[in-house]
Amino acid sequence: MQLSDRVTGGVLVLLGAAAAWGGSRLPAVPGQEVGPAAFPMLIGCGLILCGVLIAVGIGRSFEAEEAPETPHPWWYGLRALVPFALLLFYVLASETLGFVLTAAAMILVGALVLGARLRLALPLAVLMPLLIHLAFYKLLRVPLPDGLLSPPW
Amino acid sequence: MELLEAFRLVAAPDVLIAILASAIYGLVVGSLPGLSATMATALLVPVTFWLSPIAAVATIITASAMAIFSGDIPGCLLRIPGTPASAAYTDEAYALTRKGQAELALGAGLWFSAIGGIVGTLSLVLMAPVLAEMALSFSTFEYFWLAFLGLMCATLVARSSPIKAIASMLLGLLIACIGMENPAGTPRFTFGVPDLLGGIEPIPALVGVFAVSEVMRAMVTPEPPKLPDRKFGSILANQWALTKKYQWPMWRGNIIGIIIGVLPGAGADMAAWVSYAMSKKFSREKEKFGTGHPEGLVEAGASNNASLASGWVPSLLFGIPGDTITAIAIGVLYMKGLNPGPTLFTENARSMYALYIIFILANIIMIPLGILMIRMASQVLRAPRAAIMPVILVMCAVGSFATGSNLFSVLLVGLFGCLGFVMERNGYPVAALVLGIVMGSMVEQNFITSLIKSDGDVLPFIERPVSGVLAAMTFGALLWPLGVWIWNRVQGPRLPAGSAAE
Repeated sequence: MQLSDRVTGGVLVLLGAAAAWGGSRLPAVPGQEVGPAAFPMLIGCGLILCGVLIAVGIGRSFEAEEAPETPHPWWYGLRALVPFALLLFYVLASETLGFVLTAAAMILVGALVLGARLRLALPLAVLMPLLIHLAFYKLLRVPLPDGLLSPPW
Repeated sequence: MELLEAFRLVAAPDVLIAILASAIYGLVVGSLPGLSATMATALLVPVTFWLSPIAAVATIITASAMAIFSGDIPGCLLRIPGTPASAAYTDEAYALTRKGQAELALGAGLWFSAIGGIVGTLSLVLMAPVLAEMALSFSTFEYFWLAFLGLMCATLVARSSPIKAIASMLLGLLIACIGMENPAGTPRFTFGVPDLLGGIEPIPALVGVFAVSEVMRAMVTPEPPKLPDRKFGSILANQWALTKKYQWPMWRGNIIGIIIGVLPGAGADMAAWVSYAMSKKFSREKEKFGTGHPEGLVEAGASNNASLASGWVPSLLFGIPGDTITAIAIGVLYMKGLNPGPTLFTENARSMYALYIIFILANIIMIPLGILMIRMASQVLRAPRAAIMPVILVMCAVGSFATGSNLFSVLLVGLFGCLGFVMERNGYPVAALVLGIVMGSMVEQNFITSLIKSDGDVLPFIERPVSGVLAAMTFGALLWPLGVWIWNRVQGPRLPAGSAAE
């Protein structure tokens, strides 16, 4: 997702303003001049300043030239969101489905999106969750949820 | 006596196994393009929960040293740096390969990495006790400047706009504000979410920024080309001749690497860029650079590994990370009861000795294992990306879940992945963000305490000699890009951004 410096700079200004405003509303510690508000306000001001400088293009000369991107259909960039979606799926589903099934689904989808053949993706989705479960549950004692399908160990 | 005890600690079977296993792990992960040394270390954290303190630190030291070397392999053979620390000299190494001298390039990477690592370790051994003595008298003013200096150094990243780097760093500091861990214990920016009260843990942030965003990038970039099968001749054949011929550049690389490593916040990537530029500047054969000339490889290859070891100096002494790898290591040190600080060297000397021994050992076994890795590189690099990346993603989920047995951190990993991806795409360096997150509460605490002590006065911040010097260095780092910019204006634009030399 390539954004112009104006957009990212603008976002930083807004974020800085929000941080400074939010910080200024924090309750002070009685009898002290500086409290929890000082640091966020300082950062907020810094972010506003940086945002403005970025938006007007100062410091641009330091950046390395980007390689020109090959043109893709508009939805191609959305593929970048697949990993986030898979992690979200893990958060929502791992308690009910259990680790093995959730991880298998993640690996299968992830591998297919990256262009793997089913011949590779399917065995991977069966074997890797079991291996990871063995390593983390058995050896490292991480309490992974059992869910619908619990491995024999 | 302490030293003997340290040898005994390292010779324990669990430590030796940990070293060997993490060496192989580091070599493989480092050699895969897109998987960096920092990511290798971050994914190790859940494993260290379960290890003894010495074994835990050993895995981090070994895996990171191996990964930094191993990043040279795809750089040399495919012109794709395996880790960002190899990016500075990838073109040079690839040019050597095209001339049919792949063995020379890979051997130089290996041999001088090991030398750099050992020299860096010696600097750690010599410097740390002296600095520890000094650090005992440090007050919050000095700690504030040290932490601030670390943040400023983190913004001096090569090939990025310094303003964007500072913005990233401020963003990290803002993220560190979240939660109740502030001088007053007031919940800040928690938006009523109970999971945010404890603040943002650095590990999910690191895993998200360095690993998940890499999986995201893989989704939208074409797969790197496959490596043709090839037989290598002797890897180390000409290295001794190179060592003698380029002795001076090698030492300069080591020293620059050590200095950059000791600076809080600046790490192996920057050491390599600066050393490569330095090497070109002072070389008697400037015109050969870029056409497959080993001199730059010697200097930068030694430099990035030397910085790795000396990066532990600020981490162990002050708890201020020397780079993103030690940022993770500090978390592990706290977890294992080896709290960083000057007293670590006085009260826990044998653990320190053990740490030095592990460093040396890791750099020695790097040579045989590295040769093995080079010979197997075409097999390892043939592993399809479509198989590796989804597995990495699951490991990210499990690894962050393991740090707190909390699904919220899995969500955080995803969010930080998106943030890192967008930032990287738009030229905002993520290392500055991460160091901001890691050091935020430390900077704030020392800043506020100092302000309260000085009653709002600025003078005590610079009054003491050490704090004055640190303050000057901090402002030097802050104003450095301005100096480079003015220099470019006067001399015509030819200086690469952020690199201190040329």
